[in-house]
Amino acid sequence: MATQASRTAGRLMLSPAVILLLLWMIVPLGMTIYFSFLRFNLLMPGTEAFTGFENYSYFFTDPAFWPALVNTLVLVTGVLAITVGGGIALAVLLDQPMWGQGLVRVLVIAPFFVMPSVSALVWKNMLMNPVNGLFAALARGLGLPPIDFFADIPLASIIVIVAWQWLPFATLILFTAMQSLDREQMEAAEMDGAGPLWRFVHLTLPHLTRAMTVVVLIQTIFLLSVFAEILVTTNGGPGTASTTLTFLVYMQSMLQFDVGLGSAGGIVAVLLANIVAIFLMRMIGKNLEA
Amino acid sequence: MGEIVLSQVRKSFGGTSVIQGIDLRIEDGEFVVFVGPSGCGKSTLLRLIAGLEDTTSGTIAIDGHDATSLPPAKRGLAMVFQSYALYPHMSVRKNIAFPLRMAGISAEEQERKVQAAAKVLNLAPYLDRKPSQLSGGQRQRVAIGRAIVREPSAFLFDEPLSNLDAALRVSMRQEISELHQSLKTTMIYVTHDQVEAMTMADKIVVLNAGRIEQVGSPLELYKTPANLFVASFIGSPKMNLVEGPEAAKHGAHTLGVRPEHIDIVAEGPWSGTVGICEHLGSDTFLKVHVEGLGALTVRAGGEVDLVHGAPIRLAPQPDKLHRFDGAGEALAKALA
Amino acid sequence: MAREISTGRKAVITTVAWAVALLIFFPILWTVLTSFKTEGEAVNSHPAFLFFDWTLENYHAVNERSDYLAHFWNSVVISLGSTLAGLIIAVPAAWAMAFVPGKHTKDLLMWMLSTKMLPAVGVLVPLYLLARDTGLLDTRTGLVIVLTMVNLPIIVWMLYTYFKEIPAEILEAARMDGATLSSEILYVLTPMAVPGIASTLLLNVILAWNESFWTLNLSAANAAPLTAFIASYSSPEGLFYAKLSAASTMAIAPILILGWFSQKQLVRGLTFGAVK
Repeated sequence: MATQASRTAGRLMLSPAVILLLLWMIVPLGMTIYFSFLRFNLLMPGTEAFTGFENYSYFFTDPAFWPALVNTLVLVTGVLAITVGGGIALAVLLDQPMWGQGLVRVLVIAPFFVMPSVSALVWKNMLMNPVNGLFAALARGLGLPPIDFFADIPLASIIVIVAWQWLPFATLILFTAMQSLDREQMEAAEMDGAGPLWRFVHLTLPHLTRAMTVVVLIQTIFLLSVFAEILVTTNGGPGTASTTLTFLVYMQSMLQFDVGLGSAGGIVAVLLANIVAIFLMRMIGKNLEA
Repeated sequence: MGEIVLSQVRKSFGGTSVIQGIDLRIEDGEFVVFVGPSGCGKSTLLRLIAGLEDTTSGTIAIDGHDATSLPPAKRGLAMVFQSYALYPHMSVRKNIAFPLRMAGISAEEQERKVQAAAKVLNLAPYLDRKPSQLSGGQRQRVAIGRAIVREPSAFLFDEPLSNLDAALRVSMRQEISELHQSLKTTMIYVTHDQVEAMTMADKIVVLNAGRIEQVGSPLELYKTPANLFVASFIGSPKMNLVEGPEAAKHGAHTLGVRPEHIDIVAEGPWSGTVGICEHLGSDTFLKVHVEGLGALTVRAGGEVDLVHGAPIRLAPQPDKLHRFDGAGEALAKALA
Repeated sequence: MAREISTGRKAVITTVAWAVALLIFFPILWTVLTSFKTEGEAVNSHPAFLFFDWTLENYHAVNERSDYLAHFWNSVVISLGSTLAGLIIAVPAAWAMAFVPGKHTKDLLMWMLSTKMLPAVGVLVPLYLLARDTGLLDTRTGLVIVLTMVNLPIIVWMLYTYFKEIPAEILEAARMDGATLSSEILYVLTPMAVPGIASTLLLNVILAWNESFWTLNLSAANAAPLTAFIASYSSPEGLFYAKLSAASTMAIAPILILGWFSQKQLVRGLTFGAVK
């Protein structure tokens, strides 16, 4: 739908972005793959040697690997359950007529804009701290023993913090999807005598399915990379109680300087994320055609 | 001047051929309408003339010069788009002045020309408004104003009235016709609406599947359609087409007769019953189920009042019958 | 269409909604309140909600620490710099994909997105080594480059969806009116695309401001933006709640304000058009 001249101009204008992204993707990923087959520790320069799949077998047999994998899955599913469930409830609530709806929305969305290190610090020190935290003060007020959140239930505490950050995102997207709900269909169902619960289950929920899938997929991509919240609160501990795959790779490569092992872990994380990404890309791709 | 000559123009997108070898001569000052069903290639043909698409092969000459590879800006043509394509961030004045600004014309000259165009198009009170503050008809006039100020050698219109409501369409149609009368500039007008084609054109080009089916004045196309496609496309309501023994009786594969050329008579060759009866006031359209022929549309006088199921006899006007062969090409007119 | 509902029901919904919203907002509110308390008041075992001696001393204290302002400035430079660099690369690309789409435009867009799906940890080691070997480790330039590339797919994608909404006919009209490619972009496309470009800029400044994986791993004392600087407060010794709150409030306030303006763009930018 254009002339040759404009197509040539188009190609010229497209090339910087394409070339840069291509380099950005291929070079580091290629290096990671290469490193993952090397014995390569920054503390022992000059000892690099090809080791085949040794790094991978070390990574999979690392005592922290299985806990990290389980923790990652628990973290992702926990946060997803809270944010999707809470998001639907909030979206339905926000969709009702009320006074000051704009302000309510602004308050609900706010946590998403708080940088992860700040929210982790605030929750860790001012809310969840067993001595000086607000929750401890509340518990004392009720005559209960305060909970030492990050010592006793570290992963659950991190899930709460991360869920707090992502609940606004889920709410916003589900609320946006609610706006496109066919009001006439709702009214027709009401005319036919359908109660509010029936309408929610049979009309609202199916309408939100697509948005829910998008929320799940996008959040999964981001949740697999949760990092600052763990670094600031528990540093992966106690023991491996709150170590995720991302954090494990970080520890191996940035703290133990084992580049080869960290790279192997990185590749495992890439493969895991790809499984999710493929589903997400299919959905977005379909939308692109419409 | 505005003489446009297309020779063997072809256009294909990927592997699909959209325009298949078009030869056409548009005389200076002519109002030419490209008409055809959607997907026939009429808009593509206009965009090829405009230079918004490259031709795959063939040449386009404007005023005797080969313009095939010229960019749109250099062809000296102006175009009015279906969506009006006004610049939403500019006032009406700036919209109309935009081509002048691009041509590097002085501010005073721009203003003079904008004022002149605004006067012709009754836009003077709206010059400082944004397009979003205008009605559909006013937007259309701004788009025309933007085209006029360039003093192009030809105007190109791409279905300009299809976004307007029925009443406005009729009045804009007349305005464009009047504009053509006063400017006497070549106009090429694309539409799928045969009524627009019939009412506005000096010359109609009927397109189908990337080919020209027929070129001629409105009355030529109406009186002597070259084939079945043109016959059924031009004229409203559509021509009745009859096959079988009745057509064979007239030595044709298909027999065509327009609704206005069938008379209701006391004694006639065709007998049938009235299906539906549509009163338009000035005319009445009857759908008649004729034995052996099927449903025919008949135009009768406005006063005719027949009830559903009424028996009726019909007679076609013998000198107005159209005969077509098996390939759909017109045969010579039947003799009276 | 909206129907009248009883005032009583509306009052109940309003109460519930406000209660929930305040609960969600509470950690932020608490931080802001604490930032106005004295350190003693901040760790009081019977915390006061509003009735305490309001003070600005924490803000003075934070501002007097020159390093806080330096890190704040790092955040500004890195988030604005990476967004502007991204826009310069992305505007022409999005223009091309929206107005001269080819057979592979869709594949190209999907591929660009796929680079965004790559988990950061998968390329942590090589990027760290590359940054170290090129002397870009712990420099603002290094972080600008990394964040430009991290957010480039989102920028291209957002601009593409905005440009797609500009009818091609308007650009063709400009061409018919005698505009060259550069005047077409300058006088017609850009003014029409300004709202979209502004929204893209806004959302990406927010994302870059809060980005915490690369800023934490590729910066130290010099180039650390607020994300990394505030994370360094996490060490137990020398933790002052009120000052921490003041520093946090200053770190999140600008972005919170920008964020409230960009709610709608957030959906578009983060779902890649999958939810409308």
